[in-house]
Amino acid sequence: MSFHPLMLYDPERFQRSERRLLEEGEPFTFAPERRAALDELLTKYPPDRKRSAILAALYLVQEQQGYLTANAVRHVGGILEMTPAEVEDVATYYVMFFKEKVGKHVVQVCRTLSCALAGAERVTEALSHTLGIAPGETDPSGMFTLLEFECLGACDRAPVVMVNNEDWHERVRPEDCGRLVEDIRARGPAASSGCHLRIERP
Amino acid sequence: MDTVTLTIDGREVTVEKGKTVLQAAIDNGVQIPYYCYHPGLGIDGSCRVCIVKIEKLPKLQTSCSTPVAEGMVVSTQTPEVVEARASVFEFLLINHPLDCPVCDKGGECPLQDFSYSFGPNESRMEFPRRVFDGEGVRADVDFGPTLMLNRNRCILCTRCVRFMREIDTDPQINIVDRGYGSEIATFQEEGVHSLLSGNLMDVCPVGAITTRDYRFKSRPWDNPDAVDTICTLCEKGCNTTAWLKAKPEWAKGARLIRITPRFNPDVNDYWMCDIGRFDYRWIEGDNRLQKPLLRSEAGVLEPTDWRNVVGKVADRVTAAGGPSALGFLVSGHASLEELALIGRLGGTLGLREEGVAVGWRRREKPQAPGAKFKIPPVDAPNLMGAADMGFPVRPTSSGDADLAAFRGDVEAGRITVLYVFDPGPEGTLGDVSWIVEARQSGRLQHLIVQGVLMTPLAAAADIVLPGAAWVEKDAAYVNEQGRLQGAARAIAPPGEAMEDWQILVNVGLALGAPLTYTSSQEVRAEIAAGLGDNPRYAGLAELAFARPTAAGNWLKTSNPSERWKWDFMFQDLPPVKFVGKPGATSWMNGIPLTEVE
Repeated sequence: MSFHPLMLYDPERFQRSERRLLEEGEPFTFAPERRAALDELLTKYPPDRKRSAILAALYLVQEQQGYLTANAVRHVGGILEMTPAEVEDVATYYVMFFKEKVGKHVVQVCRTLSCALAGAERVTEALSHTLGIAPGETDPSGMFTLLEFECLGACDRAPVVMVNNEDWHERVRPEDCGRLVEDIRARGPAASSGCHLRIERP
Repeated sequence: MDTVTLTIDGREVTVEKGKTVLQAAIDNGVQIPYYCYHPGLGIDGSCRVCIVKIEKLPKLQTSCSTPVAEGMVVSTQTPEVVEARASVFEFLLINHPLDCPVCDKGGECPLQDFSYSFGPNESRMEFPRRVFDGEGVRADVDFGPTLMLNRNRCILCTRCVRFMREIDTDPQINIVDRGYGSEIATFQEEGVHSLLSGNLMDVCPVGAITTRDYRFKSRPWDNPDAVDTICTLCEKGCNTTAWLKAKPEWAKGARLIRITPRFNPDVNDYWMCDIGRFDYRWIEGDNRLQKPLLRSEAGVLEPTDWRNVVGKVADRVTAAGGPSALGFLVSGHASLEELALIGRLGGTLGLREEGVAVGWRRREKPQAPGAKFKIPPVDAPNLMGAADMGFPVRPTSSGDADLAAFRGDVEAGRITVLYVFDPGPEGTLGDVSWIVEARQSGRLQHLIVQGVLMTPLAAAADIVLPGAAWVEKDAAYVNEQGRLQGAARAIAPPGEAMEDWQILVNVGLALGAPLTYTSSQEVRAEIAAGLGDNPRYAGLAELAFARPTAAGNWLKTSNPSERWKWDFMFQDLPPVKFVGKPGATSWMNGIPLTEVE
């Protein structure tokens, strides 16, 4: 959209930023049931405040394809009447939205003070050993991603391991890690149902 | 108007209710530095340098986000404030590269000025700086067709983000990541695509956003003069300042180095569009008409002198065979003075009413539908003035100039001598290919063009008279709101080109019109006398035109409404320095931090 002949816009001529960009990814549309869930949610906000549903929408994207892609960001922006830049702004602010491909199960170990004092580093090492990957990596089978996170808000039950943004495993000892991983591998999400949130929920 | 009285630094000040402490301070000449606050944008409170002490509030407050209250007692210069402010500056400079000698903002940079005035003398930081995209100019990355971005210099004031959100209303700039990793970016590095993008350079308080146009071209101290003028590229008439670079006569390159907006709350606020800002290079370009041209017997346009050419114009017009064979096509870029003189010429010649037409170009500017700064579609600064002066301003239903009848007269050979007056940039007269065609096919016998550029129209003419662009003459225009404004002469017309009113007077004299004007001011005085009953033209005779002002004093002397900028953005403030060692008086010092095994 350059209007000036002396200012022809040729991105190749100029220096590109080294900033890590979102993957373009596959063309993205919400699956009908997720779209319906989002539309249902949108009825709770005034029509001109659709953008309020952004976090929910981004969670739905992750539910559908595990992580955010540029195409998904555009799609969400289109539904919520936001520019892709605004969606990216929110998405990159929050650590629970993954900007690159992650494994089926994302294992997040809290490393903030309480957990660190209670031996979170040892837990990370054990998980790293069991999975054969360093923190921040995804295993070759695409099953697990191991991440270190900041405070997960369960300091009284440190150290805490969160699986898939959802399930807490508390007072994890390094020797429990092998069993935890095997359990998730064998039973999938059902393996996570023992954590306190599930128990304490009415 | 509800007012609130508060005390700032022991002075009682009364301001409008609802203002913030910072605005109250600015209005009353109290010096508080700021970065994220911009009077044209919403409040953010992210830069923290405007902190002040307000009695009865436990912590220091950001004055930009604290509304005034009755009886508030504010202090901006107590040791507590001075030290805290110095600490904020120390933080702002943790990662800001000290590359002022190669930074385009150097010399007009609020970060520079305020750090000198309010910051500590030294930094305690020994860590490597955070670096995006490499050190130095390697960090200058692509930020769209008009801009470059240097993230290392950015202090994350978010003015650019808010400008795009609030004024452009197409938020293309975002902050990615958070905390220490935050950076200004566009989605997928697509860059900013907006006709208002140049304003992002203006609002940026550091050298993070620079324009490709001005980058590495000049430094503030290389631009000794600035001229307050207006933009005439569309009917909005934005108030602008033209900056002139110092250069010896023999040196290559342009004198007009950049155009920036000038605050006028009634017309353009703090902003201007990219067309007005960047479309000026043609003024000192190679395509300008510099000498009068006359088509020779061999059919070639050859340079001649003014005396000769004016006589030839008179001959051609007289030989046309009566006023009915004569036509004037006037561009919407013609100023009031020029229109008045064309009117006098027409009167002398006994021109028919149908023999005059006004042309302009209309093109929609692509903008977000909600944009707060609208660029009007008509590229003519003076249509309102032309209509008031009795010229036939006839728009079609689509808003274009309705030249059908006039064109018919030319194409049918009823008009044999056509005088085109077009002092605007190429294309702003609208489609003129039909004139070129009529001349080439011989249906139009003589074409006289008074203009500024060697356009296809000028190339087809028999006589070409080199005129002046809007920054080369003092001229008055009436914008779409009916506001009378003057564009000042910032530079001289190139070569032998003359101001258009002089050309028209000379042509008129050659045709025997009793013209006695010796300055464009006299023309304006006469228009004012003729239109005396129209309140719009009340100030025309006394219209003041700015002269080049030393840029060092420009903000001070030029425009009272720009005082805020001088006082608070480009100033050399008396230092409110934090003296002493950084951290020496801080309570943090009480807790010695030692390394643990």
